[in-house]
Amino acid sequence: MIDTVIRQALRDSVNEVLEKMFFVQTLGEFSDLEVAGHPPEDEMAARLDFQGEPAGSLRLRLTSVAAKQIAADFLGIDAADVSDLQVSEVIRELANMTCGSVLSRVESSTAFNLSAPQIVPPSEEDTGSLWNTRYAVELSNGRLTVNITTESPTCSQPAESAY
Amino acid sequence: MAYRVLIVDDSPAMRTFVRRVIDLSGFELSECFEASNGQEALEILNHEWVDAILTDINMPGMDGQEFLRRLSQDELLRSIPAIVISTDATSHRMASMASLGARGYVTKPFLPEALRAELERTLGVPCD
Repeated sequence: MIDTVIRQALRDSVNEVLEKMFFVQTLGEFSDLEVAGHPPEDEMAARLDFQGEPAGSLRLRLTSVAAKQIAADFLGIDAADVSDLQVSEVIRELANMTCGSVLSRVESSTAFNLSAPQIVPPSEEDTGSLWNTRYAVELSNGRLTVNITTESPTCSQPAESAY
Repeated sequence: MAYRVLIVDDSPAMRTFVRRVIDLSGFELSECFEASNGQEALEILNHEWVDAILTDINMPGMDGQEFLRRLSQDELLRSIPAIVISTDATSHRMASMASLGARGYVTKPFLPEALRAELERTLGVPCD
């Protein structure tokens, strides 16, 4: 089942994170059907788990060419000079920021705790969760797909600043 | 006036990005130090004075919460303004870090202007 609160938060978060931190504009969205119909190409993936209400995990897949360019944009260097290690670091950071942004938008009555993002095989699938929300966007040189699975649906509350 | 800033984050990519964003924002840096966790940051602060600290929360070794706790227990270091940079924008987390002594909080994702504004606010830099 798709959690509509998570779905909207995911859409807003992906676009905001890409624009503000990676200076990337998305070119359009893929439907769930389009993503399901495409076998994984040359992709890399990162995953992190979160504890809170609800608990769950985020998995992010990105085509390798797009990953390299995004890492270059983030670090302010030429794509040809980006190492595989730097690409991995940046993609883990992208997953971390996206997850934190989504969860901050759907704040529940408890604080969230995120695990450290890990690079995982792109073919890894989340199974066994009832709530699975996916959002995929087209980039100038590839595709970014983000999946969030949760143990239960969300309930959103407004946040207040302590500063 | 140019400032000395310490960036504390376990991700080298994030430290590079923060430094780059500070430069892009027009905020004047005279020196920028980097540490991958709170322990490394305290070691740097043993022999280098900085005007402001930018710190992550989740780091292996000494995390951001313990780092702020240690800063607040030190008579000299507690005067250095510390700003938390985190993906966690929940009110619980912000309140928790404020109670540990953080003077500012910047939520990722952020624009260069937002980081500069928070640095200037915590340093008491007068507006143009």
